[in-house]
Amino acid sequence: MVFGIVVVNVLLAQTSFRIGEAERHLEELSEDHLELVREQATLSAPGRISAWASRHGMRLPDDIRILHAPGSGPGEPTGADTPSSSTDPNGTKGSGAKGDPPT
Amino acid sequence: MSRPPAGRLVALFALMAFAFGAISVRLMVLQVSQAKELQDRGFDQRVRTIDLPAQRGQILDRNGARLALSTPADDVYADPQLVDDPWGTATRLSPLLDVGVPDLVHAMTSDGTFVYLARQLGRDASDRIQRLDLPGIGLLPTSRRSYPAGPLASQVLGFVGTDGVGLTGLELGYQDVLAGTPGERTHELGLSGQAIVGGVDEERAPIAGASVVTTIDRDLQFQAQAALEQAVMEQGARGGTVIVMDPRNAEVLAMVSYPWFDPNTFEDAPSSTFRNRAVTDAYEPGSTNKVITAAAAIQERAIPLGMRLLVPWTMPVGDYVIHDSHSHGIMQMTLGDIVAESSNIGAVKVADRLGASALATYLARFGLGHATGVGFPGESNGIMLPLDQWSDTSLATMAYGQGIAATPLQMVSVYSTIANDGRWVQPTLVRGTVGPDGTLDEHAAAPTRRVVSAETARMVTQMLAYAVEDGTGTNAQILGYQVAGKTGTARIPTGDGSGYLEGQYIASFIGYLPAGDPSVVVAAILDRPAAVYGGLAAAPLFKRVALAAIARLGIAPADRVPLPPHALPVG
Repeated sequence: MVFGIVVVNVLLAQTSFRIGEAERHLEELSEDHLELVREQATLSAPGRISAWASRHGMRLPDDIRILHAPGSGPGEPTGADTPSSSTDPNGTKGSGAKGDPPT
Repeated sequence: MSRPPAGRLVALFALMAFAFGAISVRLMVLQVSQAKELQDRGFDQRVRTIDLPAQRGQILDRNGARLALSTPADDVYADPQLVDDPWGTATRLSPLLDVGVPDLVHAMTSDGTFVYLARQLGRDASDRIQRLDLPGIGLLPTSRRSYPAGPLASQVLGFVGTDGVGLTGLELGYQDVLAGTPGERTHELGLSGQAIVGGVDEERAPIAGASVVTTIDRDLQFQAQAALEQAVMEQGARGGTVIVMDPRNAEVLAMVSYPWFDPNTFEDAPSSTFRNRAVTDAYEPGSTNKVITAAAAIQERAIPLGMRLLVPWTMPVGDYVIHDSHSHGIMQMTLGDIVAESSNIGAVKVADRLGASALATYLARFGLGHATGVGFPGESNGIMLPLDQWSDTSLATMAYGQGIAATPLQMVSVYSTIANDGRWVQPTLVRGTVGPDGTLDEHAAAPTRRVVSAETARMVTQMLAYAVEDGTGTNAQILGYQVAGKTGTARIPTGDGSGYLEGQYIASFIGYLPAGDPSVVVAAILDRPAAVYGGLAAAPLFKRVALAAIARLGIAPADRVPLPPHALPVG
């Protein structure tokens, strides 16, 4: 009986150590995961990517024109180069404040 | 051998009996009467309870990109009474803590038994410190808040202090949601600090904070910040603000004010950069406010759309003379012309026909004078005098946006209302929260109210499209898209309220596109730009941000809206 109690206690102690070890391991893995998430977020930040692109000679074009394929939108199907024009019937020419700077 | 005297034997026996009795009594006292107290005292010495900090929730953009998150860290402390070699200890710690040796020595030779040497140290460094096993040096688990994108949306996000509590921005506004509930662990330890098998081991697990999902689009926010910074530099402006909003649901897609700061190193930044000026600071909107005057006049039928008003360059109002920005002869202008050409005198004449009471009503209906309720800490109401406190010039000046103050968010909300067929929707910065189980708890639909009819909103849109097509806002034109918007060039009041700063202006442009089916509203505001005028300084900024929004959101062109009746020539 004494031997049995000793064996049970030893097994309990071993299990307790294993649980403690597993919990520490889980905690470490969770911390590693969080650190990797942070690193991923840092690396994918647009500011970092933009700076990297600039260092490698990439830049945005000066004159961005957005083209839409035919049927992609209700207006200006091919788009983009057509200056806007008035569709109203009152567009008569005359004098006025056309040249005034804006307010 | 002679036997010891009987008396001595008796005395020895009596002494032993007394000692045995004393020990018995003492044992009785210890084991019976003081047993409970001593058991408790021993238990207290073996049992340790430690706090288990809750993981603070993340702040995400609308697509799940992480804008703020917490990672494990340690605070490093010293017990000066136990540090046996301050100089040697400091020399070994200094490179790991990035703190000078003299500072560490000073801390470790101070009075008391506890002093922080470093806060929120990364786990790599703290592991190395632990391996050094330095006497008197200890670690306390905590967490460190990181903002992976640096200064991106920093004024919206805010930051947390070293104690993990939000101090500004959404970190403050959603502190209760983000913080979670700390837990604690109680366990029995032996002399060596090892847990006693079969002893007390109870844990109340911490509950992690929920994550906050914002309406911000990280990439569009970056583009808006880049465009704003470029505009401020080009214009030599003191600062500026950009807001991008979806008018259909009033979700804020981007919001920034320049100068900004990096929340990872907020201690090094001027506190003035912490403010989210788009929400907390009111400015006199100037001519962008004419959209309210026009909408009210149309809704109240104060002026027929085709009616031509005679508009001189100057006009006396009370003790003052109001004038347009540039001299001109007496012109015939329709309401559309007045909006497109941004005529102050025209706006005053329209307001006269509308009346003070009606204008005040519509200013309030559009949300001026009241915080939008976006849920951001410190949101300003703006400044709008009650009608009974209006002076004899208030009607005139408010018609063109002076003598009244609004936040940039309030003004974006005004244009968003027009773009949304006349229905105001409460702006929002947060879509919902994600609990520890990963489910999104979306906020309830934002409150809405009708401000003007859809027909009125369509007419105002035509006028704003006219302003961009052939008025003061031509620099906001985007090939392939019809833009509706309005310029503003507003004087800046003096700090003491005695008048306006001479020759200093806030330039702005607020607009939306496509005019026929608005998908995005953009406000571009610059503080004292070199080019002065909204049409010259702010409209190009609007265009840059709008182009970024088109590309990012995949906005397609829409049917064009016709221009409103006008007396001035077009083209």
